[in-house]
Amino acid sequence: MSDPIYTEMIIDEAKNAHNEGTLENPDISQHDANPMCGDDITLQMHVNNNTISDIKWHGDGCTICKACTSVLTQMIKGQDIEFAKNLNKEEILSELGLQHLITQSPVRIKCALLSLKALKLGLYTYLAKKIENSSSADTLKADASKLY
Amino acid sequence: MQSSISLETIKKDFPILHRTVRDGKPLVYLDNASTTQKPIQVIDAITDFYSNHNANIHRAVYALAEEATEAYESSRDKVAKFLNIKNREEIIFVRGTTEGINLVAYTWGRKYIQEGDIIVTTEYEHHSNIVPWQLLAKEKNAKIEYIGVDDNGELLLDQLDSYLETGKVKLVAFSQMSNVLGTITNTKEIINKCKKAGVKTLIDGAQSVPHMKVDLEKLDCDFFAFSAHKMLGPTGVGVLWVRKDVLETMDPFHGGGDMIREVHKYETTWNDLPYKFEAGTPSIADVIGFAAAIDYLTTIGMDTIRNHEISLTKYALEKMSKVKGITIYGVKDVLKRGGVISFNFHDVHPHDVATIVDREGISIRSGHHCAQILMERLQVAATNRVSFYIYNTKEDVDKLIKSLEKVAELFKL
Repeated sequence: MSDPIYTEMIIDEAKNAHNEGTLENPDISQHDANPMCGDDITLQMHVNNNTISDIKWHGDGCTICKACTSVLTQMIKGQDIEFAKNLNKEEILSELGLQHLITQSPVRIKCALLSLKALKLGLYTYLAKKIENSSSADTLKADASKLY
Repeated sequence: MQSSISLETIKKDFPILHRTVRDGKPLVYLDNASTTQKPIQVIDAITDFYSNHNANIHRAVYALAEEATEAYESSRDKVAKFLNIKNREEIIFVRGTTEGINLVAYTWGRKYIQEGDIIVTTEYEHHSNIVPWQLLAKEKNAKIEYIGVDDNGELLLDQLDSYLETGKVKLVAFSQMSNVLGTITNTKEIINKCKKAGVKTLIDGAQSVPHMKVDLEKLDCDFFAFSAHKMLGPTGVGVLWVRKDVLETMDPFHGGGDMIREVHKYETTWNDLPYKFEAGTPSIADVIGFAAAIDYLTTIGMDTIRNHEISLTKYALEKMSKVKGITIYGVKDVLKRGGVISFNFHDVHPHDVATIVDREGISIRSGHHCAQILMERLQVAATNRVSFYIYNTKEDVDKLIKSLEKVAELFKL
């Protein structure tokens, strides 16, 4: 039985989500939620030499939210901050074949992009603390608020 | 107006039920606890008002204004008859249940609730019967207590006794039917207990009035609020009923036109009841549309509606309980509940369920249903909810079951 959202890949990705858990003394810890639907996640990262050396997430979310969070954490684990900063929604969604949500589901797109929003806000907070000139950090904040 | 309306052919009166959604799927609308669809009679009444009678009410002397006032005020009489209310001046038109409850909190509450007083509500209230009391309690340093819900979805009324024994309770505010579990509250028992203790009662009738016969004279509570849009009427209209002896002690809510008798530079006197509480131009056309909804429901008969929903709920509960991986909340006895069924699938988020079901053209609700305190009690973040009304059929339920089975299949439950 085929379904445009609930493919076996997405259901499996959500059921066996990667990087679920918590980190001790994270350098970045960002909580975010979609109040209308109840998706609620916390994203935590360790940063070493500008590299995201470890990332974990925990919380409660729907299949779309969990699958996208799982994919996001796999994409940025081991990558440098610059890569994570520039990660965009199309890259996440296309990993799971969910690009159609952008035009077809203004409600469910929020589930898919909650973790990306948390990532951008988390990096913003981290970078704003680190750098005096926070103009690059402000771009992140603007990015996060424009996602959906 | 038709002399009789048959439930078998009722869908023909609802234009929206003939449209398709999601690539040509016939619409199956199962979110009636949220809002109901409108029959052509209601839509026509609103159109007729704007096409033929539109004018402001209660003021001008010309023909249109007289017609508009007459139509608006006769809606009040229809509400009175529908709920067996003796005094029409006890009926205040508001925007909906939420505004009705807020009106009580702002006027009666601000005047009579004092530091240390207790306001009792229940764990299965809609946020609209919790947040206004929290705002009031904060302002007055008063306290809120909750009547708990047992595992069956029914209120633990013994807890009310212990609250009343403190002698500090000023108001018990509760819904006559839970919008999540469908539980029908033992309203009479609560009111009797409160009467003995000299405590005022407020009933949220948003879920009960559309679905069963409600007689306010018999109930004998102090405040009662409900919304038109959950009973085939337009959005933006509701009723707050307050017993006259209580209403007479209340100060105005909104100040403005229509609620005054005389305005002077530094002093104003108030209009008679109920106009003292209806400041500004109300939603005239919608109040008139609401009257058409009451006519429609009256023609069918509230007992017929209740019986239809009992049999549909029984049918749905039987079929749904056989779907793999499903948990259904609330009382099993269909005589103790309305046509509202909340459920979850093991491990599948309600939003995923609602999305899959929606693809078959079926509208169900997923989320916390403005009842986060009850969600905490059930230890879930959210539930799925189906809720029926007069136009729903066993075929609608069959379609729902088929799509729920698809959920179980996709998620390998």
